[in-house]
Amino acid sequence: MARAMSSLVAAMAIAALCASPALAQRRTADGHPDLSGVWAGREEAVKALAPGQSTRILFPVRTNPDDKRIFDEMDRAAKERQAAEPNKPPYKPELAGKVQLLSDKRQFNDPAFYCKPLGVPRLGPPSQIVQTPGLVVLLYQGRNTFRTIPTDGRAHNADADWTWNGDSVGRWEDDTLVIDTAKLVEDSWLGADGWFHSNKMHVVERLSRKGDALTWAATVEDPVVFTKAWEMTPRNLKLNPNPKALLEEDPPCLEQDGPHIVTDDHH
Amino acid sequence: MKYILWTGAMAVALSGAAAPALAHHSLQSEYDINQSITLKGTVTKVDWVNPHVYVYLDVKDDKGAVTKWAVTTLPPGNLRRGGLTRDLLGYGETVSILAFRARDGANLAFLRTITFADGHKLEIWLGDASKENP
Repeated sequence: MARAMSSLVAAMAIAALCASPALAQRRTADGHPDLSGVWAGREEAVKALAPGQSTRILFPVRTNPDDKRIFDEMDRAAKERQAAEPNKPPYKPELAGKVQLLSDKRQFNDPAFYCKPLGVPRLGPPSQIVQTPGLVVLLYQGRNTFRTIPTDGRAHNADADWTWNGDSVGRWEDDTLVIDTAKLVEDSWLGADGWFHSNKMHVVERLSRKGDALTWAATVEDPVVFTKAWEMTPRNLKLNPNPKALLEEDPPCLEQDGPHIVTDDHH
Repeated sequence: MKYILWTGAMAVALSGAAAPALAHHSLQSEYDINQSITLKGTVTKVDWVNPHVYVYLDVKDDKGAVTKWAVTTLPPGNLRRGGLTRDLLGYGETVSILAFRARDGANLAFLRTITFADGHKLEIWLGDASKENP
């Protein structure tokens, strides 16, 4: 009897949890999960300092601000994180040397360092999604980037040229939006660690929403450089709770440091 | 003094971009932490751009000769989240800047502190405040 009661209580608790607004699946009129919303930023808008007000802004580095090794420490910590990265792309063994060389000289080679677009899939998850019947618009605050994803059943555009974000089509698989992207230029990288690719790369992204959480996952295929498909580490985003939240314009990118870099030190 | 500290988790969570903030080149490869310099001059231009904001300065010597300097700092997103806007960086004003010189000898440096004529200061730097001496 006691066991039956505890089961009933547990079932009621689960039912109550599922009925809570935080976990309920919002849907559009056509029955698909509603992915629309700002998936970046913070609830409260940035407040500007008053003229004449002093401030101190610290970019996080795990050392004392007066430590003379502070620049070194930034590089060391970043390299430690990269070395510990468990999910590296499965490059063909004969390309390991090229990846290492590009990685060592990333300061001069990484296209993103020199203001080129990140490109799909390095862009990662969108900052905002605008979902309409037959079309999903993905907005990325970084570098003011947009992608339009038709979900009306059309095929890839056979006449599309190769671009940084490629030619994308979307479809719904149950409650997951699946975005298939091809015709990606080989100029982009998959990450700063020398992760190059060919123009045969094919990317499948999956976006799914549970309550106020969005999960982005991506599978990258490139038969020219990989031994098998690479499952990127999924990213989880939280819905900006402010219904009036807006993305801010990202200032232009103007790289001016390259000519002054004199060593191979890198993050 | 208003004090803002960004933790790593906050910076990544709020950036909304794939690449973490300051994923640009190594500072060590370009600037010498052992070569600090104090520049006193007039701010002639503020470039509010990625990947680094630039402040340009005309520095006059005792004889009135002007030397042009460029001083760079964090990306605009980091400054913005810290409450700064481009017009708070002193365009047209006489300032004193503490910075670290470029290794290649150019009139270029990485900013630490701007002190304005009225005495207020902007420190834009790197570090973990919890590890500072009290």
